[in-house]
Amino acid sequence: MIAAALTLVVLALLGAPLFAIIAASALVGFYQSDVDLSVVAIEFYRLAEMPVLLAIPLFTFAGYLLSESHAPMRLVKLTRALLGWMPAGLAIVSLLACAFFTAFTGASGVTIVALGALLFPALMQAGYRENFNLGLITTSGSLGLLFAPSLPLILYAVIAQQINVGEPVSVDDMFLAGLFPGLLMLVMLSIYAFWINRNHSITAFSARRAWNAVVEARWEIPMPFIVLGGIYSGYFAVSEAAAVTAFYAIIVEVLLYREIKVRQLPGIMRNSMVLVGAILLILGAALASTNYMIDAGVPARLFATIQELVDNKYAFLILLNIFLLILGMMLDIFSALVIMVPLLLPIAIGYGVDPVHLGIIFLANMQIGYFTPPVGMNLFIASYRFSKPVMQLYRATLPFFTILLVTVLIITYWPSLSLTLLER
Amino acid sequence: MTSEPEQPTNNSSVLHRASRWIAAIEDSVLVVLVAVMIGLASTQIFMRNVLDSGIAWGEPLLRLLVLWVGLVGAIVATREDNQITIDVLSRYLPTRAKTVTRLITDLFTGAVCAILAWHGGRFVMMDWQDATETFASVPAWLCEAIIPIGFGAIALRYALSFLSHLKMLMINRS
Repeated sequence: MIAAALTLVVLALLGAPLFAIIAASALVGFYQSDVDLSVVAIEFYRLAEMPVLLAIPLFTFAGYLLSESHAPMRLVKLTRALLGWMPAGLAIVSLLACAFFTAFTGASGVTIVALGALLFPALMQAGYRENFNLGLITTSGSLGLLFAPSLPLILYAVIAQQINVGEPVSVDDMFLAGLFPGLLMLVMLSIYAFWINRNHSITAFSARRAWNAVVEARWEIPMPFIVLGGIYSGYFAVSEAAAVTAFYAIIVEVLLYREIKVRQLPGIMRNSMVLVGAILLILGAALASTNYMIDAGVPARLFATIQELVDNKYAFLILLNIFLLILGMMLDIFSALVIMVPLLLPIAIGYGVDPVHLGIIFLANMQIGYFTPPVGMNLFIASYRFSKPVMQLYRATLPFFTILLVTVLIITYWPSLSLTLLER
Repeated sequence: MTSEPEQPTNNSSVLHRASRWIAAIEDSVLVVLVAVMIGLASTQIFMRNVLDSGIAWGEPLLRLLVLWVGLVGAIVATREDNQITIDVLSRYLPTRAKTVTRLITDLFTGAVCAILAWHGGRFVMMDWQDATETFASVPAWLCEAIIPIGFGAIALRYALSFLSHLKMLMINRS
Protein backbone atom coordinates (compact mmCIF):
# COMPACT_ATOMS: atom_id res chain seq x y z
CA MET A 1 0.00 0.00 0.00
CA ILE A 2 2.76 2.43 0.96
CA ALA A 3 4.80 1.31 -2.06
CA ALA A 4 1.82 2.02 -4.31
CA ALA A 5 1.34 5.45 -2.77
CA LEU A 6 5.01 6.33 -3.18
CA THR A 7 4.99 5.19 -6.81
CA LEU A 8 2.03 7.45 -7.48
CA VAL A 9 3.72 10.44 -5.84
CA VAL A 10 6.84 9.88 -7.97
CA LEU A 11 4.73 9.56 -11.12
CA ALA A 12 2.93 12.79 -10.24
CA LEU A 13 6.25 14.59 -9.77
CA LEU A 14 7.45 13.23 -13.10
CA GLY A 15 4.47 14.99 -14.69
CA ALA A 16 1.80 12.29 -15.04
CA PRO A 17 -1.64 13.95 -15.33
CA LEU A 18 -3.18 14.34 -11.89
CA PHE A 19 -6.52 12.83 -12.84
CA ALA A 20 -4.70 9.58 -13.67
CA ILE A 21 -2.86 9.65 -10.34
CA ILE A 22 -6.11 10.16 -8.43
CA ALA A 23 -7.97 7.53 -10.47
CA ALA A 24 -5.12 5.06 -9.98
CA SER A 25 -5.20 5.59 -6.22
CA ALA A 26 -8.91 4.80 -6.22
CA LEU A 27 -8.40 1.72 -8.43
CA VAL A 28 -5.59 0.38 -6.21
CA GLY A 29 -7.58 1.06 -3.06
CA PHE A 30 -10.77 -0.63 -4.22
CA TYR A 31 -8.81 -3.52 -5.74
CA GLN A 32 -7.11 -4.24 -2.42
CA SER A 33 -10.45 -4.10 -0.61
CA ASP A 34 -11.90 -6.61 -3.13
CA VAL A 35 -14.47 -4.15 -4.41
CA ASP A 36 -15.62 -4.50 -8.05
CA LEU A 37 -13.67 -1.84 -9.96
CA SER A 38 -16.73 -0.73 -11.93
CA VAL A 39 -17.42 1.29 -8.78
CA VAL A 40 -14.91 3.84 -10.08
CA ALA A 41 -16.97 4.33 -13.27
CA ILE A 42 -20.16 4.51 -11.21
CA GLU A 43 -18.63 7.17 -8.97
CA PHE A 44 -17.42 9.06 -12.04
CA TYR A 45 -20.98 9.07 -13.34
CA ARG A 46 -21.98 11.13 -10.30
CA LEU A 47 -20.67 14.13 -12.23
CA ALA A 48 -24.07 13.89 -13.93
CA GLU A 49 -25.95 13.97 -10.64
CA MET A 50 -24.86 17.31 -9.17
CA PRO A 51 -26.88 20.25 -10.50
CA VAL A 52 -24.40 22.87 -9.25
CA LEU A 53 -21.64 21.57 -11.55
CA LEU A 54 -23.47 23.11 -14.49
CA ALA A 55 -22.10 26.42 -13.24
CA ILE A 56 -18.53 25.36 -14.06
CA PRO A 57 -18.77 25.12 -17.88
CA LEU A 58 -21.15 28.08 -18.11
CA PHE A 59 -19.11 30.52 -16.02
CA THR A 60 -15.89 29.41 -17.70
CA PHE A 61 -17.36 29.97 -21.14
CA ALA A 62 -18.66 33.41 -20.15
CA GLY A 63 -15.22 34.31 -18.78
CA TYR A 64 -13.44 33.24 -21.96
CA LEU A 65 -15.98 35.11 -24.09
CA LEU A 66 -15.48 38.30 -22.09
CA SER A 67 -11.70 38.06 -22.28
CA GLU A 68 -11.86 37.64 -26.07
CA SER A 69 -13.93 40.82 -26.43
CA HIS A 70 -12.86 44.34 -25.50
CA ALA A 71 -14.45 43.94 -22.07
CA PRO A 72 -11.05 43.97 -20.27
CA MET A 73 -10.22 47.30 -21.94
CA ARG A 74 -13.55 48.82 -21.00
CA LEU A 75 -13.20 47.54 -17.44
CA VAL A 76 -9.80 49.21 -17.09
CA LYS A 77 -11.06 52.41 -18.69
CA LEU A 78 -14.07 52.53 -16.41
CA THR A 79 -12.26 51.91 -13.14
CA ARG A 80 -9.55 54.31 -14.25
CA ALA A 81 -12.01 57.08 -15.00
CA LEU A 82 -13.74 56.54 -11.66
CA LEU A 83 -10.69 56.02 -9.43
CA GLY A 84 -7.71 57.24 -11.40
CA TRP A 85 -7.77 60.66 -9.72
CA MET A 86 -6.70 59.20 -6.37
CA PRO A 87 -3.02 59.05 -5.45
CA ALA A 88 -1.77 55.66 -6.69
CA GLY A 89 -5.11 55.53 -8.47
CA LEU A 90 -3.96 53.44 -11.39
CA ALA A 91 -2.39 50.86 -9.08
CA ILE A 92 -5.64 50.56 -7.16
CA VAL A 93 -7.51 50.38 -10.45
CA SER A 94 -5.32 47.44 -11.43
CA LEU A 95 -6.08 45.64 -8.19
CA LEU A 96 -9.83 46.11 -8.50
CA ALA A 97 -10.04 45.29 -12.19
CA CYS A 98 -7.96 42.13 -11.74
CA ALA A 99 -9.91 40.98 -8.70
CA PHE A 100 -13.16 41.46 -10.56
CA PHE A 101 -11.89 39.70 -13.65
CA THR A 102 -10.43 36.75 -11.75
CA ALA A 103 -13.67 36.21 -9.87
CA PHE A 104 -15.38 35.71 -13.22
CA THR A 105 -12.72 33.74 -15.05
CA GLY A 106 -11.31 31.57 -12.26
CA ALA A 107 -7.66 31.97 -11.41
CA SER A 108 -6.06 30.20 -14.33
CA GLY A 109 -3.51 32.73 -15.48
CA VAL A 110 -6.09 34.31 -17.78
CA THR A 111 -6.05 37.52 -15.76
CA ILE A 112 -2.31 38.11 -16.19
CA VAL A 113 -2.49 37.47 -19.89
CA ALA A 114 -5.70 39.39 -20.63
CA LEU A 115 -5.54 42.31 -18.18
CA GLY A 116 -1.81 42.42 -17.51
CA ALA A 117 -1.20 43.20 -21.16
CA LEU A 118 -3.33 46.32 -20.77
CA LEU A 119 -2.35 47.38 -17.28
CA PHE A 120 1.40 46.87 -17.34
CA PRO A 121 2.10 49.35 -20.17
CA ALA A 122 -0.38 51.80 -18.66
CA LEU A 123 1.35 51.62 -15.28
CA MET A 124 4.78 52.06 -16.88
CA GLN A 125 3.55 55.03 -18.85
CA ALA A 126 2.10 56.62 -15.73
CA GLY A 127 5.58 56.48 -14.22
CA TYR A 128 5.28 53.72 -11.62
CA ARG A 129 8.46 51.74 -10.96
CA GLU A 130 8.88 48.62 -13.08
CA ASN A 131 9.30 46.22 -10.18
CA PHE A 132 6.26 47.63 -8.44
CA ASN A 133 4.23 47.09 -11.60
CA LEU A 134 5.46 43.57 -12.16
CA GLY A 135 4.76 42.63 -8.56
CA LEU A 136 1.35 44.23 -8.67
CA ILE A 137 0.25 42.48 -11.87
CA THR A 138 1.62 39.09 -10.85
CA THR A 139 -0.08 39.34 -7.45
CA SER A 140 -3.33 40.50 -9.01
CA GLY A 141 -3.41 37.42 -11.23
CA SER A 142 -4.92 35.39 -8.42
CA LEU A 143 -6.61 38.19 -6.50
CA GLY A 144 -10.37 37.85 -6.53
CA LEU A 145 -10.40 34.14 -5.92
CA LEU A 146 -12.48 34.74 -2.81
CA PHE A 147 -15.18 36.69 -4.62
CA ALA A 148 -18.30 35.12 -6.12
CA PRO A 149 -18.69 33.50 -8.57
CA SER A 150 -15.15 32.13 -8.62
CA LEU A 151 -14.92 28.45 -9.54
CA PRO A 152 -12.74 27.41 -6.58
CA LEU A 153 -15.41 28.67 -4.14
CA ILE A 154 -18.01 26.57 -5.96
CA LEU A 155 -15.74 23.55 -6.14
CA TYR A 156 -14.91 23.68 -2.44
CA ALA A 157 -18.61 23.61 -1.54
CA VAL A 158 -19.21 20.69 -3.93
CA ILE A 159 -16.40 18.65 -2.39
CA ALA A 160 -17.34 19.49 1.19
CA GLN A 161 -20.88 18.31 0.46
CA GLN A 162 -19.52 14.96 -0.73
CA ILE A 163 -17.68 14.39 2.50
CA ASN A 164 -20.70 15.13 4.58
CA VAL A 165 -19.14 15.75 7.98
CA GLY A 166 -19.81 18.69 10.28
CA GLU A 167 -22.16 21.48 9.34
CA PRO A 168 -23.26 21.44 5.69
CA VAL A 169 -21.52 23.86 3.30
CA SER A 170 -23.48 25.43 0.46
CA VAL A 171 -22.13 27.39 -2.48
CA ASP A 172 -24.04 30.43 -1.25
CA ASP A 173 -22.29 30.12 2.13
CA MET A 174 -18.92 30.20 0.41
CA PHE A 175 -19.91 33.21 -1.68
CA LEU A 176 -20.83 35.14 1.44
CA ALA A 177 -17.85 33.97 3.49
CA GLY A 178 -15.29 35.06 0.89
CA LEU A 179 -16.51 38.64 0.77
CA PHE A 180 -14.78 40.22 3.80
CA PRO A 181 -11.51 38.24 3.55
CA GLY A 182 -11.31 39.18 -0.13
CA LEU A 183 -11.97 42.83 0.68
CA LEU A 184 -9.32 42.73 3.41
CA MET A 185 -6.75 41.63 0.83
CA LEU A 186 -7.81 44.41 -1.53
CA VAL A 187 -7.66 47.06 1.18
CA MET A 188 -4.24 45.97 2.48
CA LEU A 189 -2.73 45.94 -1.00
CA SER A 190 -4.33 49.29 -1.82
CA ILE A 191 -2.86 50.85 1.32
CA TYR A 192 0.57 49.53 0.35
CA ALA A 193 0.23 50.82 -3.23
CA PHE A 194 -0.90 54.16 -1.87
CA TRP A 195 2.03 54.37 0.59
CA ILE A 196 4.69 53.45 -1.96
CA ASN A 197 3.39 55.93 -4.49
CA ARG A 198 2.31 58.68 -2.10
CA ASN A 199 4.48 61.25 -3.89
CA HIS A 200 3.25 60.22 -7.28
CA SER A 201 1.57 62.95 -9.33
CA ILE A 202 -2.14 62.64 -9.78
CA THR A 203 -4.51 63.39 -12.62
CA ALA A 204 -7.66 65.37 -12.04
CA PHE A 205 -11.02 63.66 -12.04
CA SER A 206 -12.97 64.35 -15.20
CA ALA A 207 -16.72 63.93 -15.00
CA ARG A 208 -16.94 63.76 -18.76
CA ARG A 209 -14.36 61.02 -19.06
CA ALA A 210 -16.12 59.06 -16.33
CA TRP A 211 -19.47 59.46 -18.05
CA ASN A 212 -17.98 58.35 -21.38
CA ALA A 213 -16.50 55.24 -19.79
CA VAL A 214 -19.83 54.42 -18.16
CA VAL A 215 -21.65 54.83 -21.47
CA GLU A 216 -19.09 52.67 -23.24
CA ALA A 217 -19.44 49.85 -20.70
CA ARG A 218 -23.20 50.26 -20.33
CA TRP A 219 -24.02 46.71 -21.42
CA GLU A 220 -21.44 45.06 -19.22
CA ILE A 221 -22.07 47.06 -16.05
CA PRO A 222 -25.33 45.18 -15.30
CA MET A 223 -23.56 41.80 -15.46
CA PRO A 224 -22.15 41.65 -11.92
CA PHE A 225 -25.44 42.97 -10.58
CA ILE A 226 -27.38 40.23 -12.35
CA VAL A 227 -25.01 37.51 -11.14
CA LEU A 228 -24.28 38.66 -7.62
CA GLY A 229 -27.67 40.25 -7.00
CA GLY A 230 -29.40 37.16 -8.34
CA ILE A 231 -27.39 34.77 -6.21
CA TYR A 232 -27.23 36.75 -2.98
CA SER A 233 -30.94 37.59 -3.08
CA GLY A 234 -31.74 33.93 -3.60
CA TYR A 235 -33.55 34.63 -6.85
CA PHE A 236 -31.19 32.45 -8.90
CA ALA A 237 -29.55 29.19 -8.02
CA VAL A 238 -25.82 29.28 -8.79
CA SER A 239 -26.18 27.23 -11.97
CA GLU A 240 -29.01 29.48 -13.14
CA ALA A 241 -26.93 32.59 -12.55
CA ALA A 242 -24.21 30.95 -14.63
CA ALA A 243 -26.65 30.25 -17.45
CA VAL A 244 -27.92 33.83 -17.40
CA THR A 245 -24.34 35.12 -17.44
CA ALA A 246 -23.35 32.95 -20.39
CA PHE A 247 -26.48 33.90 -22.33
CA TYR A 248 -26.19 37.59 -21.48
CA ALA A 249 -22.49 37.64 -22.39
CA ILE A 250 -23.28 36.22 -25.83
CA ILE A 251 -26.04 38.80 -26.40
CA VAL A 252 -23.82 41.68 -25.29
CA GLU A 253 -20.56 40.80 -27.03
CA VAL A 254 -21.99 39.30 -30.20
CA LEU A 255 -25.17 41.29 -30.83
CA LEU A 256 -24.71 44.61 -29.03
CA TYR A 257 -20.98 45.36 -29.14
CA ARG A 258 -20.43 43.10 -32.15
CA GLU A 259 -16.83 42.47 -31.13
CA ILE A 260 -17.17 38.70 -31.32
CA LYS A 261 -18.43 37.29 -34.60
CA VAL A 262 -20.85 34.38 -34.52
CA ARG A 263 -18.31 32.22 -36.30
CA GLN A 264 -15.82 32.86 -33.49
CA LEU A 265 -18.19 31.38 -30.90
CA PRO A 266 -17.45 27.69 -31.62
CA GLY A 267 -13.73 28.32 -31.13
CA ILE A 268 -14.31 30.11 -27.83
CA MET A 269 -16.65 27.35 -26.64
CA ARG A 270 -14.09 24.74 -27.52
CA ASN A 271 -11.13 26.52 -25.91
CA SER A 272 -13.01 27.15 -22.68
CA MET A 273 -14.13 23.52 -22.47
CA VAL A 274 -10.54 22.25 -22.60
CA LEU A 275 -10.06 23.74 -19.14
CA VAL A 276 -13.48 22.50 -18.00
CA GLY A 277 -12.71 18.99 -19.25
CA ALA A 278 -9.41 18.94 -17.37
CA ILE A 279 -11.13 20.11 -14.15
CA LEU A 280 -14.09 17.74 -14.37
CA LEU A 281 -11.86 14.78 -15.13
CA ILE A 282 -9.97 15.44 -11.89
CA LEU A 283 -13.20 15.98 -9.98
CA GLY A 284 -14.75 12.75 -11.33
CA ALA A 285 -11.68 10.73 -10.40
CA ALA A 286 -11.66 12.39 -6.99
CA LEU A 287 -15.27 11.36 -6.33
CA ALA A 288 -14.08 7.76 -6.53
CA SER A 289 -10.89 8.22 -4.51
CA THR A 290 -12.73 10.22 -1.82
CA ASN A 291 -15.33 7.50 -1.55
CA TYR A 292 -12.58 4.94 -1.08
CA MET A 293 -10.70 7.01 1.48
CA ILE A 294 -13.82 7.55 3.57
CA ASP A 295 -14.72 3.85 3.35
CA ALA A 296 -11.25 2.94 4.48
CA GLY A 297 -11.40 5.46 7.33
CA VAL A 298 -8.28 7.29 6.14
CA PRO A 299 -9.29 10.76 7.41
CA ALA A 300 -10.13 9.37 10.85
CA ARG A 301 -6.79 7.59 11.13
CA LEU A 302 -4.95 10.63 9.86
CA PHE A 303 -6.72 12.74 12.47
CA ALA A 304 -5.75 10.32 15.23
CA THR A 305 -2.10 10.46 14.16
CA ILE A 306 -2.00 14.23 13.88
CA GLN A 307 -3.80 14.69 17.17
CA GLU A 308 -1.02 12.87 18.95
CA LEU A 309 1.48 15.37 17.58
CA VAL A 310 -0.55 18.55 17.62
CA ASP A 311 -2.72 19.17 20.62
CA ASN A 312 -4.43 22.47 20.00
CA LYS A 313 -6.33 24.29 17.30
CA TYR A 314 -3.83 27.12 16.89
CA ALA A 315 -0.83 24.88 16.43
CA PHE A 316 -2.88 22.96 13.91
CA LEU A 317 -3.75 26.14 12.02
CA ILE A 318 -0.10 27.21 11.82
CA LEU A 319 0.87 23.83 10.41
CA LEU A 320 -2.09 24.03 8.04
CA ASN A 321 -0.90 27.40 6.72
CA ILE A 322 2.64 26.17 6.09
CA PHE A 323 1.41 23.00 4.48
CA LEU A 324 -1.06 24.80 2.21
CA LEU A 325 1.54 27.36 1.12
CA ILE A 326 3.84 24.59 -0.07
CA LEU A 327 0.92 22.77 -1.65
CA GLY A 328 -0.33 25.90 -3.42
CA MET A 329 3.08 26.43 -4.94
CA MET A 330 3.19 22.93 -6.44
CA LEU A 331 -0.40 22.04 -7.26
CA ASP A 332 -2.97 24.01 -9.20
CA ILE A 333 -5.93 25.05 -7.14
CA PHE A 334 -8.40 22.56 -8.59
CA SER A 335 -6.27 19.48 -7.98
CA ALA A 336 -5.31 20.75 -4.55
CA LEU A 337 -9.00 21.11 -3.67
CA VAL A 338 -10.08 17.64 -4.76
CA ILE A 339 -7.06 15.88 -3.32
CA MET A 340 -6.64 17.65 0.01
CA VAL A 341 -10.09 18.82 1.14
CA PRO A 342 -11.42 15.27 1.75
CA LEU A 343 -8.42 14.64 4.01
CA LEU A 344 -8.24 18.03 5.69
CA LEU A 345 -11.90 18.73 6.33
CA PRO A 346 -12.54 15.93 8.85
CA ILE A 347 -9.29 16.80 10.63
CA ALA A 348 -10.10 20.50 10.77
CA ILE A 349 -13.55 19.75 12.13
CA GLY A 350 -11.88 17.59 14.77
CA TYR A 351 -9.97 20.69 15.87
CA GLY A 352 -13.17 22.74 15.92
CA VAL A 353 -12.59 24.68 12.69
CA ASP A 354 -15.77 25.61 10.86
CA PRO A 355 -15.92 23.92 7.41
CA VAL A 356 -16.72 27.22 5.68
CA HIS A 357 -13.82 28.90 7.45
CA LEU A 358 -11.51 26.07 6.41
CA GLY A 359 -12.56 26.67 2.81
CA ILE A 360 -11.62 30.33 3.00
CA ILE A 361 -8.29 29.54 4.69
CA PHE A 362 -7.60 26.95 2.04
CA LEU A 363 -8.34 29.23 -0.90
CA ALA A 364 -6.55 32.24 0.62
CA ASN A 365 -3.42 30.12 1.00
CA MET A 366 -3.75 28.75 -2.51
CA GLN A 367 -4.10 32.28 -3.80
CA ILE A 368 -0.69 33.31 -2.54
CA GLY A 369 0.68 29.91 -3.52
CA TYR A 370 0.22 31.06 -7.11
CA PHE A 371 3.13 33.45 -6.75
CA THR A 372 5.13 31.88 -3.91
CA PRO A 373 8.77 31.59 -4.97
CA PRO A 374 10.41 29.55 -6.31
CA VAL A 375 7.79 27.67 -8.32
CA GLY A 376 4.44 29.51 -8.08
CA MET A 377 2.78 29.21 -11.47
CA ASN A 378 1.93 32.89 -11.99
CA LEU A 379 5.58 33.87 -11.58
CA PHE A 380 6.35 31.90 -14.70
CA ILE A 381 3.30 33.15 -16.60
CA ALA A 382 4.26 36.76 -15.81
CA SER A 383 7.91 36.12 -16.62
CA TYR A 384 6.88 34.74 -19.99
CA ARG A 385 4.25 37.37 -20.70
CA PHE A 386 6.42 40.40 -19.86
CA SER A 387 9.76 38.85 -20.93
CA LYS A 388 11.42 39.43 -17.57
CA PRO A 389 13.69 36.98 -15.74
CA VAL A 390 11.98 34.93 -13.05
CA MET A 391 14.54 36.19 -10.51
CA GLN A 392 13.32 39.74 -11.04
CA LEU A 393 9.75 38.56 -10.44
CA TYR A 394 10.78 36.93 -7.16
CA ARG A 395 12.08 40.29 -5.97
CA ALA A 396 9.19 42.26 -7.42
CA THR A 397 6.48 40.15 -5.78
CA LEU A 398 8.15 39.89 -2.37
CA PRO A 399 6.51 42.95 -0.72
CA PHE A 400 3.11 41.94 -2.07
CA PHE A 401 3.68 38.38 -0.92
CA THR A 402 4.53 39.57 2.59
CA ILE A 403 1.40 41.69 2.81
CA LEU A 404 -0.87 38.91 1.64
CA LEU A 405 0.84 36.45 3.95
CA VAL A 406 -0.09 38.71 6.86
CA THR A 407 -3.63 38.88 5.48
CA VAL A 408 -3.82 35.11 5.27
CA LEU A 409 -2.76 34.88 8.92
CA ILE A 410 -5.46 37.37 9.89
CA ILE A 411 -8.03 35.37 7.91
CA THR A 412 -6.87 32.17 9.57
CA TYR A 413 -6.93 33.37 13.18
CA TRP A 414 -9.98 35.58 12.94
CA PRO A 415 -12.80 33.20 11.96
CA SER A 416 -15.60 35.73 12.34
CA LEU A 417 -14.20 37.73 9.43
CA SER A 418 -15.31 34.85 7.22
CA LEU A 419 -18.31 33.70 9.20
CA THR A 420 -20.02 36.89 10.31
CA LEU A 421 -22.23 37.16 7.22
CA LEU A 422 -23.36 33.58 7.75
CA GLU A 423 -24.27 34.16 11.37
CA ARG A 424 -22.53 30.99 12.50
CA MET B 1 2.81 22.18 -26.92
CA THR B 2 2.29 19.71 -29.72
CA SER B 3 3.77 16.33 -29.20
CA GLU B 4 3.07 14.92 -32.66
CA PRO B 5 6.32 14.51 -34.56
CA GLU B 6 6.70 15.23 -38.25
CA GLN B 7 6.21 12.04 -40.19
CA PRO B 8 7.90 12.16 -43.58
CA THR B 9 6.78 8.78 -44.96
CA ASN B 10 3.95 8.34 -47.45
CA ASN B 11 1.35 6.47 -45.48
CA SER B 12 1.63 9.11 -42.78
CA SER B 13 -0.26 11.66 -44.87
CA VAL B 14 -3.27 9.35 -44.71
CA LEU B 15 -2.77 9.08 -40.97
CA HIS B 16 -2.44 12.83 -40.71
CA ARG B 17 -5.61 13.40 -42.63
CA ALA B 18 -7.39 10.84 -40.46
CA SER B 19 -6.17 12.51 -37.30
CA ARG B 20 -7.28 15.91 -38.59
CA TRP B 21 -10.73 14.47 -39.27
CA ILE B 22 -10.92 12.94 -35.83
CA ALA B 23 -9.88 16.22 -34.27
CA ALA B 24 -12.56 18.06 -36.25
CA ILE B 25 -15.20 15.56 -35.15
CA GLU B 26 -14.18 15.83 -31.50
CA ASP B 27 -14.26 19.62 -31.68
CA SER B 28 -17.65 19.69 -33.39
CA VAL B 29 -19.22 17.31 -30.91
CA LEU B 30 -17.89 19.44 -28.07
CA VAL B 31 -19.22 22.67 -29.57
CA VAL B 32 -22.66 21.16 -30.23
CA LEU B 33 -22.87 19.87 -26.66
CA VAL B 34 -21.93 23.28 -25.22
CA ALA B 35 -24.32 25.12 -27.52
CA VAL B 36 -27.17 22.82 -26.50
CA MET B 37 -26.20 23.27 -22.86
CA ILE B 38 -26.27 27.08 -23.03
CA GLY B 39 -29.47 27.08 -25.10
CA LEU B 40 -31.33 24.64 -22.88
CA ALA B 41 -30.20 26.26 -19.62
CA SER B 42 -31.31 29.68 -20.86
CA THR B 43 -34.64 28.33 -22.12
CA GLN B 44 -35.30 26.69 -18.77
CA ILE B 45 -34.80 29.97 -16.92
CA PHE B 46 -36.94 31.88 -19.39
CA MET B 47 -39.75 29.34 -19.07
CA ARG B 48 -39.58 29.25 -15.30
CA ASN B 49 -39.59 33.00 -14.80
CA VAL B 50 -41.69 34.28 -17.66
CA LEU B 51 -44.03 31.44 -18.60
CA ASP B 52 -44.03 29.84 -15.16
CA SER B 53 -43.47 26.38 -16.64
CA GLY B 54 -40.49 24.23 -17.56
CA ILE B 55 -39.30 21.20 -19.48
CA ALA B 56 -39.48 18.15 -17.24
CA TRP B 57 -36.41 16.45 -18.74
CA GLY B 58 -34.50 19.71 -19.01
CA GLU B 59 -32.80 19.51 -15.64
CA PRO B 60 -31.58 15.89 -15.85
CA LEU B 61 -30.44 16.44 -19.44
CA LEU B 62 -28.43 19.49 -18.38
CA ARG B 63 -26.75 17.48 -15.63
CA LEU B 64 -25.94 14.76 -18.12
CA LEU B 65 -24.51 17.33 -20.52
CA VAL B 66 -22.05 18.39 -17.83
CA LEU B 67 -20.63 14.85 -17.81
CA TRP B 68 -20.50 14.65 -21.59
CA VAL B 69 -18.96 18.09 -22.01
CA GLY B 70 -16.45 17.21 -19.30
CA LEU B 71 -15.32 14.00 -21.00
CA VAL B 72 -15.30 15.32 -24.56
CA GLY B 73 -13.47 18.42 -23.28
CA ALA B 74 -11.00 16.07 -21.60
CA ILE B 75 -10.45 14.24 -24.90
CA VAL B 76 -9.60 17.56 -26.56
CA ALA B 77 -7.45 18.59 -23.59
CA THR B 78 -5.52 15.33 -23.97
CA ARG B 79 -5.04 15.92 -27.68
CA GLU B 80 -3.59 19.33 -26.93
CA ASP B 81 -1.46 17.99 -24.11
CA ASN B 82 -3.30 20.28 -21.74
CA GLN B 83 -4.10 17.99 -18.82
CA ILE B 84 -3.41 19.38 -15.37
CA THR B 85 -0.01 18.15 -14.16
CA ILE B 86 2.69 19.10 -11.68
CA ASP B 87 5.49 20.50 -13.81
CA VAL B 88 7.84 21.50 -10.99
CA LEU B 89 10.38 18.82 -11.81
CA SER B 90 10.02 18.39 -15.55
CA ARG B 91 10.72 22.09 -16.10
CA TYR B 92 14.32 21.51 -15.04
CA LEU B 93 14.99 18.20 -16.78
CA PRO B 94 17.20 18.00 -19.88
CA THR B 95 15.38 17.17 -23.12
CA ARG B 96 16.35 13.54 -23.24
CA ALA B 97 15.35 12.84 -19.65
CA LYS B 98 12.11 14.68 -20.37
CA THR B 99 11.35 12.28 -23.22
CA VAL B 100 12.08 9.28 -21.02
CA THR B 101 9.81 10.50 -18.20
CA ARG B 102 7.19 11.25 -20.82
CA LEU B 103 7.35 7.62 -21.96
CA ILE B 104 6.76 6.43 -18.42
CA THR B 105 3.91 8.81 -17.66
CA ASP B 106 2.23 8.21 -21.04
CA LEU B 107 2.30 4.48 -20.46
CA PHE B 108 0.94 4.86 -16.94
CA THR B 109 -1.83 7.29 -17.93
CA GLY B 110 -2.79 5.22 -20.96
CA ALA B 111 -3.06 2.10 -18.79
CA VAL B 112 -5.17 3.85 -16.14
CA CYS B 113 -7.54 5.20 -18.80
CA ALA B 114 -7.78 1.78 -20.47
CA ILE B 115 -8.75 0.22 -17.13
CA LEU B 116 -11.33 2.96 -16.55
CA ALA B 117 -12.71 2.47 -20.07
CA TRP B 118 -12.96 -1.30 -19.52
CA HIS B 119 -14.80 -1.01 -16.21
CA GLY B 120 -16.88 1.83 -17.61
CA GLY B 121 -17.85 -0.59 -20.38
CA ARG B 122 -18.88 -3.20 -17.81
CA PHE B 123 -20.98 -0.57 -15.99
CA VAL B 124 -22.72 0.28 -19.29
CA MET B 125 -23.30 -3.41 -20.08
CA MET B 126 -24.88 -4.01 -16.68
CA ASP B 127 -27.42 -1.25 -17.21
CA TRP B 128 -27.99 -2.45 -20.76
CA GLN B 129 -28.83 -5.95 -19.58
CA ASP B 130 -31.08 -4.62 -16.83
CA ALA B 131 -32.68 -2.21 -19.35
CA THR B 132 -32.50 0.57 -16.75
CA GLU B 133 -34.19 3.80 -17.78
CA THR B 134 -33.44 7.37 -16.75
CA PHE B 135 -35.37 10.56 -17.50
CA ALA B 136 -37.89 10.59 -20.38
CA SER B 137 -37.46 6.81 -20.86
CA VAL B 138 -33.93 7.25 -22.18
CA PRO B 139 -31.99 4.04 -21.51
CA ALA B 140 -29.40 4.59 -18.80
CA TRP B 141 -26.65 2.78 -20.70
CA LEU B 142 -26.82 5.39 -23.46
CA CYS B 143 -26.17 8.21 -20.98
CA GLU B 144 -23.32 6.26 -19.40
CA ALA B 145 -21.76 5.26 -22.71
CA ILE B 146 -19.59 8.39 -22.75
CA ILE B 147 -17.50 6.99 -19.89
CA PRO B 148 -15.97 4.05 -21.82
CA ILE B 149 -15.92 6.10 -25.04
CA GLY B 150 -14.22 9.05 -23.39
CA PHE B 151 -11.63 7.09 -21.45
CA GLY B 152 -11.09 4.80 -24.45
CA ALA B 153 -10.30 7.79 -26.65
CA ILE B 154 -8.01 9.29 -24.01
CA ALA B 155 -6.21 5.95 -23.55
CA LEU B 156 -5.67 5.80 -27.30
CA ARG B 157 -4.21 9.30 -27.34
CA TYR B 158 -1.74 8.39 -24.65
CA ALA B 159 -0.82 5.21 -26.51
CA LEU B 160 -0.12 7.30 -29.63
CA SER B 161 1.83 9.83 -27.60
CA PHE B 162 3.86 6.98 -26.10
CA LEU B 163 4.73 5.67 -29.58
CA SER B 164 5.69 9.06 -30.92
CA HIS B 165 7.94 9.75 -27.93
CA LEU B 166 9.50 6.33 -28.33
CA LYS B 167 10.21 7.15 -31.96
CA MET B 168 11.67 10.50 -30.94
CA LEU B 169 14.01 8.74 -28.54
CA MET B 170 15.11 6.23 -31.22
CA ILE B 171 15.75 8.94 -33.79
CA ASN B 172 17.79 10.97 -31.32
CA ARG B 173 19.90 7.95 -30.48
CA SER B 174 20.76 6.99 -34.06
